[in-house]
Amino acid sequence: MRENDPSKIDQLLDLLLDALQERQSERGVEPSAIPAPPAEESLAGDAPEPVPAVRQEEPADVEPVAGPDADADAAEEDVIAAPVVPEKLAPIYLDRMLGRLAIFLAILVVLVNVPFNRYGTNLARAMPDVKALVIRDGLVLKGEGEKIYVLEDNRLRWISSLDAFEYYGYSWEQVNLVDDEFLDQFPPGPPLSLVYKCNGSPHIYTIENGVKRWIKDIPTFEEQGYVWDDVQIVPCRTIDDIPSGPPIPPDAGEPPPP
Amino acid sequence: MIRQLGVIEAILRNRFHFFHEIRDDVELPRKLRAMLLSSLTFFALYGAVMGSTHSVWQALSSAVKLPVLFLATLFICSPTLYIFNVLFGSNQTLRQNVALILTAVTVTAVVLLSFAPITLFFLLTTSQYQFFKLLNVGIFTAAGFMGVRFLSQGMRVVAEVGGEGDRNLHLVLRLWMLLYAFVGSQLAWTMRPFFGAPSIPFELFRQLGGNFYANIFASIGEILGFVTVQ
Repeated sequence: MRENDPSKIDQLLDLLLDALQERQSERGVEPSAIPAPPAEESLAGDAPEPVPAVRQEEPADVEPVAGPDADADAAEEDVIAAPVVPEKLAPIYLDRMLGRLAIFLAILVVLVNVPFNRYGTNLARAMPDVKALVIRDGLVLKGEGEKIYVLEDNRLRWISSLDAFEYYGYSWEQVNLVDDEFLDQFPPGPPLSLVYKCNGSPHIYTIENGVKRWIKDIPTFEEQGYVWDDVQIVPCRTIDDIPSGPPIPPDAGEPPPP
Repeated sequence: MIRQLGVIEAILRNRFHFFHEIRDDVELPRKLRAMLLSSLTFFALYGAVMGSTHSVWQALSSAVKLPVLFLATLFICSPTLYIFNVLFGSNQTLRQNVALILTAVTVTAVVLLSFAPITLFFLLTTSQYQFFKLLNVGIFTAAGFMGVRFLSQGMRVVAEVGGEGDRNLHLVLRLWMLLYAFVGSQLAWTMRPFFGAPSIPFELFRQLGGNFYANIFASIGEILGFVTVQ
């Protein structure tokens, strides 16, 4: 047993040495067995450190100093010194895909801009946010000039004064700026003005451009688009102090005093 | 034209080879031309999508203004980056510098193009102008971020500096990116509108006043219901 033990140890050591030599030779022949960096770093990760040019240009076949250990070290050095710039990836013809996407988008942009009704509404501007183009009663519009209009029964009613604008409950946020061409689509209606009446007098007046206009009778009053709720009762002196303008209708004759 | 788009694949899939080629001055004029054409086309398309919220004129105007915005920012900021790079030991030429920034601009343009269908979707389905504006600010931020990441990677490959020089390069690049963002946002504010407010008629340029950041905060405020943007 004692004689066998050393030989067994020798055998084991020989096997171990063989294995080591085999491993060394493997590492020397196949340096790429050491895991290489990923082919191309994903955008989500950190950028890989590119190897400086000087290091890349070092000769790979540097002579080892001596011995098998030096061989192994040299092999390892070679692996480290190898450029980490990844292999060029095979083409996936991204240019064609991008070209098609660009053409597809260009066609879509044209399509969404094609008007589909006589007001020039198109898909891109058909959603409710673009309320200036949603035609409805009560839409407040302003063209390139100073006048502000409200749309009623498809007719534009000029709001004749700031007081009237406020009296009828409009706010600046409601005003939609549009082109004059857009306004031209609608026929003009009667102006929207303040309507005054004083106690003890049957006469009703509208206030336009700083002058009072007598409304001849009730049918005319209604034709002008007013309702009784629009009439404000004010002192007769207030009406007296306002200069007179032409009556409504203009051929109604001499306006009476309030 | 489609052939010129091949440069996008080189940038996105083989970018380290692309940067090495810039460093070695390989076919630089061809690369510059291809990147310029690709980015101009993509910016124009995205601009047209943005402007479609308002009118055909706004779409055409934004299709011209968006490429001009990015190119003008590029030309305003390139000399600064170049001179500071030279000061801190880089040996790259101005042309290589422009090629790198144009790479970043091209990446930004491609990312924007990839977002264009989403923008178009929200254009057709959303009802809030302020939301659409903020959505686009987010998209531009994401695209710009991707662009500057590529610039950062490219600069490290092309500059060939190490140690102290590398740290300086990082510092210069970060400061330059801040400058680039400020110049870009201010120029965008000067060249507005790109969307066109729905209740205001088309205008090529809007009168100056306010600033980009105040407007963004106001838009966020309106979406949250705090203020109304006039």
